[in-house]
Amino acid sequence: MSDPTGEAKLELKQASKEVKESENVAEKYSALTVSKNSEMNMGELSSAFSAVPTHKPVKKQIQFVEDKQEFSRFPTKAGRRSLSRSISQSSTDSYSSGKNGCSMFKTLLASISRVFFYFSYFTAASYTDSSDDETSPRDKTQVNSKGSSDFCVKNIKQAEFGRREIEIAEQDMSALISLRKRAQSEKPLAGAKIVGCTHITAQTAVLIETLVALGAQCRWTACNIYSTQNEVAAALSETGVAVFAWKGESEDDFWWCIDRCVNNEGWQPNMILDDGGDLTHWMYKKYPNVFKKIRGIVEESVTGVHRLYQLSKAGKLCVPAMNVNDSVTKQKFDNLYCCRESILDGLKRTTDVMFGGKQVVVCGYGEVGKGCCAALKALGAIVCITEIDPICALQACMDGFRVVKLNEVIRQVDVIITCTGNKNVVTRDQLDRMKNGSIVCNMGHSNTEIDVASLRTPELTWERVRSQVDHVIWPDGKRVILLAEGRLLNLSCSTVPTFVLSITATTQALALIELYNAPEGRYKQDVYLLPKKMDEYVASLHLATFDAHLTELSDEQAKYLGLNKNGPFKPNYYRY
Amino acid sequence: MSDPTGEAKLELKQASKEVKESENVAEKYSALTVSKNSEMNMGELSSAFSAVPTHKPVKKIQFVEDKQEFSRFPTKAGRRSLSRSISQSSTDSYSSAASYTDSSDDETSPRDKTQVNSKGSSDFCVKNIKQAEFGRREIEIAEQDMSALISLRKRAQSEKPLAGAKIVGCTHITAQTAVLIETLVALGAQCRWTACNIYSTQNEVAAALSETGVAVFAWKGESEDDFWWCIDRCVNNEGWQPNMILDDGGDLTHWMYKKYPNVFKKIRGIVEESVTGVHRLYQLSKAGKLCVPAMNVNDSVTKQKFDNLYCCRESILDGLKRTTDVMFGGKQVVVCGYGEVGKGCCAALKALGAIVCITEIDPICALQACMDGFRVVKLNEVIRQVDVIITCTGNKNVVTRDQLDRMKNGSIVCNMGHSNTEIDVASLRTPELTWERVRSQVDHVIWPDGKRVILLAEGRLLNLSCSTVPTFVLSITATTQALALIELYNAPEGRYKQDVYLLPKKMDEYVASLHLATFDAHLTELSDEQAKYLGLNKNGPFKPNYYRY
Repeated sequence: MSDPTGEAKLELKQASKEVKESENVAEKYSALTVSKNSEMNMGELSSAFSAVPTHKPVKKQIQFVEDKQEFSRFPTKAGRRSLSRSISQSSTDSYSSGKNGCSMFKTLLASISRVFFYFSYFTAASYTDSSDDETSPRDKTQVNSKGSSDFCVKNIKQAEFGRREIEIAEQDMSALISLRKRAQSEKPLAGAKIVGCTHITAQTAVLIETLVALGAQCRWTACNIYSTQNEVAAALSETGVAVFAWKGESEDDFWWCIDRCVNNEGWQPNMILDDGGDLTHWMYKKYPNVFKKIRGIVEESVTGVHRLYQLSKAGKLCVPAMNVNDSVTKQKFDNLYCCRESILDGLKRTTDVMFGGKQVVVCGYGEVGKGCCAALKALGAIVCITEIDPICALQACMDGFRVVKLNEVIRQVDVIITCTGNKNVVTRDQLDRMKNGSIVCNMGHSNTEIDVASLRTPELTWERVRSQVDHVIWPDGKRVILLAEGRLLNLSCSTVPTFVLSITATTQALALIELYNAPEGRYKQDVYLLPKKMDEYVASLHLATFDAHLTELSDEQAKYLGLNKNGPFKPNYYRY
Repeated sequence: MSDPTGEAKLELKQASKEVKESENVAEKYSALTVSKNSEMNMGELSSAFSAVPTHKPVKKIQFVEDKQEFSRFPTKAGRRSLSRSISQSSTDSYSSAASYTDSSDDETSPRDKTQVNSKGSSDFCVKNIKQAEFGRREIEIAEQDMSALISLRKRAQSEKPLAGAKIVGCTHITAQTAVLIETLVALGAQCRWTACNIYSTQNEVAAALSETGVAVFAWKGESEDDFWWCIDRCVNNEGWQPNMILDDGGDLTHWMYKKYPNVFKKIRGIVEESVTGVHRLYQLSKAGKLCVPAMNVNDSVTKQKFDNLYCCRESILDGLKRTTDVMFGGKQVVVCGYGEVGKGCCAALKALGAIVCITEIDPICALQACMDGFRVVKLNEVIRQVDVIITCTGNKNVVTRDQLDRMKNGSIVCNMGHSNTEIDVASLRTPELTWERVRSQVDHVIWPDGKRVILLAEGRLLNLSCSTVPTFVLSITATTQALALIELYNAPEGRYKQDVYLLPKKMDEYVASLHLATFDAHLTELSDEQAKYLGLNKNGPFKPNYYRY
C-alpha cells in the first residue's frame, strides 16, 4: 500500500498469470461445447505454468497436461467470493491491498486453480491474523472445548469472534436458515459424510452448519490459500466440524490440509462439495477406492465443472456429479444483478464520480453489460454501448441505448466500462484520444480488456492517487483515471453482497440433498445440471427476504397448463 | 363501426374461432415436450370446428388428432392482420383491421369472375384487380418501415440466391407480406400465394401483387370452401411444380402432404412461422412421415423477443390509451405473470410512473421481479386497491368473478396473454350485472350497487384487439422467413435431413444485424487477434445456442 512501486511490480507479475472469466464462458460448459477454444490464449499462460513450482508431480501434472490450457481460460469464481463483506472491514479499506500477501507470493502461484487471487483483496478474508504467532498451524497442538483436536486452524481461541461473524452472515442468509428449519426434522443428510473444499468464510460457515443441522458430518478444507477467515475456521472447529485451513497456507500446506480432510481413520466420505476441483482431483488420484464409493460430487466453479466434464468425456468419472455453476438463479445473480450494483459501488468508492449527465460507454451488452447499463441509466448517465453480436446490439437499441463504435465517441466519453470477455477492447491509441479526467475500468475479463501494458511507457507518468486508482498522465498534462489497473472492478473495488453468496450456498446445499437422496439410478456416472425444480426452490427460498408472495396454481389451472402445482414451471430451455 | 350490435355479433363470432397463444407455448415446441396439454380446452373449440363445413373428407383423416392441437396452439393470425394500414384513421384502426376498400357493392364471388391483369395474365384470383394501384401505395408505405428486407433485397439481388426456387406461400396477405413476397421475387424466386386466414387479406394488396405477376389466390371473407380452393389453385398449376413452401399455420403443408404426395416429396424445404404449424411439423416428424427438411422460424431468438417482450411493451400502453385514455402516473397496476410479456408490460408501466405489482407462480420469475423492483403479491391481497389488472400468464381463470366483485369502481381489467381464458368473463354474464358497451372493445360491467368495472376486448387479447402491431416487428418476422428460405434452398445436400430445424444462430444474428441500420447502430467488428482470442469466427455466430440473451 505504502510502497506503490513494490506493489505495482508484484501486481504486474500476478497480472500475467491472472485467470480470466466472462459471463458467457460459464455457459459454454453446460452443453459440453468446449472443444476448439482451448488452443487459444495458451501461449502466454503455459509459460506462466512452467514457472510454477509443482511440488507434487504425481497429482497434478498427469491430469494437467490437458487441463492446463483450460484452466487458464476458464477459471473459478474464486476471487469474487472472498470479497464478501466482513465485520472486520471498514468501508475505506475493504478493497485495499494487504501487505501480508507479499511474503506468500511465490507459493501463491503454485496452484494454478487458485491464482486469481489478488493482493487487493487479501484483507477481505480476515483481519485478525496480525497475530505475532508465526508458528505454522501444522506444528501446533490445539484442542477445542470439547476435547477434540481433529482440526487444524490458526488459533482456536478466535472461535468466539468467528461466531459473531457467522451470526452476522446468517442475517443476510435467511434462505439457508429457513432451509435449515424446514428440513431439520427430516434430516435429509443423515448419514452423509461430506468433505468440502471451498473458501472458508462466514458465509460458507453458514452453509456448513446448515449441512450439519440437516444431519451431515462435515470435514472441510480451503480451496484457496489466502481466502480463509481464520476466526471462522476456529469457530467451526469449536463446534466440532473438522476444519483444516488457515490464511496463508503454502502449496504444501494446501495439499496436506486436503489430505487430512479426506484421510481420516474410521471415516469415509460419501459426498464431495468442491470449488475448483482440487479436492475431487486429489481423491480421484490418491484414494481411488474411496472415490468410487462417493454418492455424488457437487462442484461450484467454472474450472471445476470443466475438469469434471473432461473426466466424464474421458470415461473416467465413476460417480455422479452436479454442476451448480450453471443454474439459472446463480447465473443471474453472479452476473446481471451483482454487477448492476457493483458497477456503481466500485466507481463511487474509487472516484466519487457523479453519474448524472455523464457520457458513458459500456463495451459489451451481455448479462454484465445489461446490468451496468441499467444502473447507469437509472442515475441519469448518457449510456452508449458497443457490441459485436447483432442480437445483443438490437437488444440494446430496444432498451434505448445507442450502439456505437468506440472510435466514434472516444473523444467525448467520460467513462469507459468494458465487459466483453475479449482482449484489447480499449487500445493505447484510443486512450491517447480520451478527454482529460476520463475514467477507464473493466467489469469483464480479468485484465485483458484494457491494454494496460501499452500504458507502461516512459512518456506516461503513473500516479497512484489512492488504492486501486491510478492517474496516468500524458506529457501534455492530460490525466486518464485507470481503476484497478484494468483488473475486474467488481472484484477489486467493491464487495459482493452476502445475498448473492446465499444464492450460491443454497444451491450447493440443495444439490447435495438431491444427490444424496436420489433413488438409485436417477444419476449415472455423468455431470448433471441442477434440476429445474431445485433451481426454482433456491429462488423460492429467497423470496421471503422481499416479502414476495407467490401465487399457487389451482388444481384446475395446473391441469389446464399441464404443469405440476409445485413446479417445475418452465421447460429447460426457457430463457428467463 | 357505426352499428355496435352488428359489430358485436361479428366479433363474437370471430372470438369463438379466435386462436390462442402465450409466450411460453411457443417454446414448448422446440423441445418437443408437448404431450398432455392437448386435451385441454378442446370442448369449446372442437364445437367451433365441427360447425365448419368440411368439404374435403380427405382432411378429416388427419384432423382427428390435429383438431385438439389446433384449438390450443393456434397461428398468430390475429396479430398480423392488425398491421397498420393507410386506410385506417387512428380511432378506428383496431376495428377494421384488414381492408377498407371492400365495401364495394360487388357481391359476386371472385371465383366466378374473370379478371386479367395489365400483362394479360389471369392466373390469379382476387377481389378486384383494379385496386392494384391503391395496394401499391400500401406496399410502398410498408416498405419504409421494412428497410431490413429492402436492404436484403439490395445485397442479394445480384446473386439471386433464390433463382430457380418455386415458392408456394400461405400467409396473411398484407402490405408487409407483399414486401416479403416481392423481396423473394427480386432474389429470383417464382411465387404463388394464398391466404392462411379467411379474414386477414388486404384485397388491394392482393390485387397489387397479382398485377405484378405473382399468382395470388385470396380475398377477404373467403368461405371455408374458398379457402381450400385457393390453396389448391395455388399448388396445382400445370407445368409448374413448387419446390419450397412458406407456411403459416400448416394448412398448405398439410394439403400438399395429403393431396400431392409426389410433389411434396420433391420439396426442398418448408419454412413454418406459426406455433400451430410448427407443432404439426413436429408431430409429422415424430410419426416419421416428414420426408422433407423443415425450418421452425417461430422460435428464433430475435423473433421471439420482438413478438413478446418488445411488442407487448409498446402495445400495452397503446391498447389502454386508445380504449380508456387512462393516465398511468401513480396508478396501482397488477400484472399477472412475469414472463416475457409481463416483463414488457411492467417496464412500460413503470416508465410512466405507475405503481406496479406482479403475481407469479414461478419462483425464479418472481425473484426476477423482486430484483427489478416490483412487489410480488397474491392477487387477493391487493384486489381492493387495484386500478388496473393486466393478465399475461397463459393460464385460465386468473381473475375470477369473486375477485371482480371486490374491485374498486372504475377499475380496468384486460388481458395480454392467452386469448380469452385468463379473465373469467363468462362469470360476468349473469342477470344482476349490466353490460354497457361504451365504445368499440370497451364494456362497462355494472354491479347492482352502481360499481363499474371496465372490461377491455371482452377479455380477449388486448394487443390484438385494441392496438396495432408495428411494421418493424413484422419486418423481423418477414426477414427471418426470407433468410430461412434462402438457407434451406441453398444448403448443400445433406445439411438438412428430414427433420424440423431451428434457424441457425448465424441467420438469427443476420436478421438482427439487418435491422440495426434503422437505429443507426454501429456494430463493432472483432479484430483477427480478438476473434482468435475468443475462439470465434469474426462473422459469427457469436453465442452458443443455449445462450439466454
